[in-house]
Amino acid sequence: MTATMQPKSEAAEAPRRGRRTPGAGQNARSRGRGLEFGHWWWALPGIALVFAIHYVATGIGGFFAFTNWTGIGSFKITGWANFEAIFKDPTKVGALSNTLFLAFGSVLLGNIAGLVIALGLNRVLKTRYILRTLFFMPVVLSPLATAYIWKYIFDFDGPLNAFLKAIGAGDQAKPWLADPQWAIWTVLVVLVWSSTGFAMVIFMAGLAGVPAEVEEAAAIDGANLWQRFRNVTLPAIRPAVAIATTLGIVQGLRVFDPIMALTGGGPAGATETLATQVYKQAFALGNFGGGAALALVLAAIILIFAVLQQRLTRSNPED
Amino acid sequence: MSSIRNTYVLFLHISCILMSDRGHGSRIFSTTKSERLNMAQHRHTAAMKVIGALAVPTIAALALTGCSSSAGSTSSSNGSKEFSLSFATSNTIESPFQKLAEDYMKSHSDVKITFNPQPNDSYDQTLRTQLQAGNASDVVVTSPGSGTGRSILPLAEAGFLEPLDDAAKELLPEGSGSTFGHDGKVYGQATEITVAALVSNETAAEAAGGFPADFSSLQEQCKALESSGKSLFALAGAAPPNTGLMAMSLAASRVYAEDPKWNDKRAAKETTFAGSDGWKSALQAVNTLKDAGCFQKGAAGGGFDAITKGLAGGTSVSGFIPAPSWKQLESAAGGAKFAVRALPAESSSKSYVFASANYAFSINAASKNKDAAKAFLDWAAEPEQTKAFAEIDGALPVTGLDKYDFGSGAYKNVGDLIKDGKYGPLPNIQWPNSAVYDALATGVQGIITGQKSPDQVLQAMDAAWGQ
Repeated sequence: MTATMQPKSEAAEAPRRGRRTPGAGQNARSRGRGLEFGHWWWALPGIALVFAIHYVATGIGGFFAFTNWTGIGSFKITGWANFEAIFKDPTKVGALSNTLFLAFGSVLLGNIAGLVIALGLNRVLKTRYILRTLFFMPVVLSPLATAYIWKYIFDFDGPLNAFLKAIGAGDQAKPWLADPQWAIWTVLVVLVWSSTGFAMVIFMAGLAGVPAEVEEAAAIDGANLWQRFRNVTLPAIRPAVAIATTLGIVQGLRVFDPIMALTGGGPAGATETLATQVYKQAFALGNFGGGAALALVLAAIILIFAVLQQRLTRSNPED
Repeated sequence: MSSIRNTYVLFLHISCILMSDRGHGSRIFSTTKSERLNMAQHRHTAAMKVIGALAVPTIAALALTGCSSSAGSTSSSNGSKEFSLSFATSNTIESPFQKLAEDYMKSHSDVKITFNPQPNDSYDQTLRTQLQAGNASDVVVTSPGSGTGRSILPLAEAGFLEPLDDAAKELLPEGSGSTFGHDGKVYGQATEITVAALVSNETAAEAAGGFPADFSSLQEQCKALESSGKSLFALAGAAPPNTGLMAMSLAASRVYAEDPKWNDKRAAKETTFAGSDGWKSALQAVNTLKDAGCFQKGAAGGGFDAITKGLAGGTSVSGFIPAPSWKQLESAAGGAKFAVRALPAESSSKSYVFASANYAFSINAASKNKDAAKAFLDWAAEPEQTKAFAEIDGALPVTGLDKYDFGSGAYKNVGDLIKDGKYGPLPNIQWPNSAVYDALATGVQGIITGQKSPDQVLQAMDAAWGQ
């Protein structure tokens, strides 16, 4: 099934690009020389900058994870003490589980919503271009600015509670972002809202590669809507699913600004994530060593899940 | 070890410079790219090589000019009358520090002061980074003690602050010496005395039948106000500094009135938070206040805007905010009178307030304009200036408090307490790190939402003390 679904031009061109067919060789080489342009060493300044800013700085920052540096003055090397402290501290273990909950929750719900919207706006609908823009808008807007709008919406005197009171459900009104049970779900709603547009765009790009003929053929063969989605569309957009979920997980694990603006990690640590804890420890509480250790843990977790995610959603080799 | 640290700081500095020059760099790349495409058609590869070879040194040159221009502002020859001043700002009202410095420039026409205001929430971090990078202002505003990022003791220990002379020593508030320096040296010059208690809307208090005199009548009034849709306190439950200040105000009469040296005992490990009946009763009182309906509705999620809105609009009678705010509130509320009050104690004999110098001027040890900076500090230490500064900010002057006329001003309700010596420094100034106050502040939010018990919060504070 999947073989027939490859768009014809793409499927036919792909292997030829790699191989050098004898006849076309001459032409390709001369065209190549014309376009050959630039030298590898032009990339050196860029490589040097990436190395200096990313890798060396990260490496030195990582070194401080094994010290008790407060951000100023002298320090001692404390070995693994900072890491032990992380796993002994219930706040940080709570932050870890919140991080995983928010990352996976937002990826799951954001991708499902994104896929549904992408499917809905793929063809047919006349207003689809306007709707696509509207759904993509949250991705373009500043997460910090929109978080403050959401904060206002969820405020005790805000529109949500006003609406609840108006429909006679005033007893359900609560300070949403300061309620120990509801705060994390409220944050999740905001994260899903902001990640849906991004997933939608990726899925839409994937859907553009699904030929209408194959779907029509399946429909003629008697496949219903669900069967067509399950057996035709979904396998074809598998690479898009892999990209959307991987990027979503990485993004979700390091989410910082919306949470900082919405709850600041409160109430009493109920929405604290690893990223907000890193900031708090290193910059607000002057525990630079602890913050660096936490940042390393966060980096390791992101790496593990990104690799795992890639493996799980990797396309079949035959594709 | 220090070389590694310096390298890291250098990297932070370099990366900051490179980031700021990214715009220039990409512009060069885009130029070469567009030209590159153009020339590809004409195959002028020789010209391309020239441009490619030029691009690298040009970017390097831009990066270097970026460095020198950012560092240039602080460098000037010794003996000049110029210096720079860093202070934190948190609202649009003109900073009292800036106003004082402007007055100095007016009276000393040959002096030029460069202002470096920083947003309050990032001030500590910016100050520390700049001190380490060696490009902090000549005069910086610090806080006594070691409880915050801008605190004098850790900065002085790391060698970033210049010891000050006798003028600063004379301004030391009684009993606060140990929070301004060590080994007989003083690193900060106190600017004013800030009372940290309640600021109340007197007009709203009168309408509610007068401000309660003790803790039990306070609870009665809370219930009465709640039934009329108002509240005695406006609380920013989601803003930890505010919940922390409330808990410390509750501890004033329960812990520090009986034992003003409680912090010293805690430091000597003679007592703990969890083992202190006073602290326990202070945090239990948070629950008492909550149950009596003393806070506005939705207080757990409130921000500082809840306090300003509640107090200015008269829907709340008072709030736990630093006393100088009375002046700003009075100008914002239009008509209502505001005053500073102590939180009513269980019995009037236990009344106690916190009044201490919470801000200080310090001189950057790496400053090249120390003479000009010291001259400014000496001028600011004169009684005339300390009085003027307190008036600008709505605080109490750092000198002459015993002769201060509390009679009719905003401080009339706490005048007797201060004259009788029933006041002490804000406790967290003396705590060893900011994590203790953070544990208290977030813990109190947890008590209000029902996530934590007073005992859990006190244990977390003890754990943070030992960090």
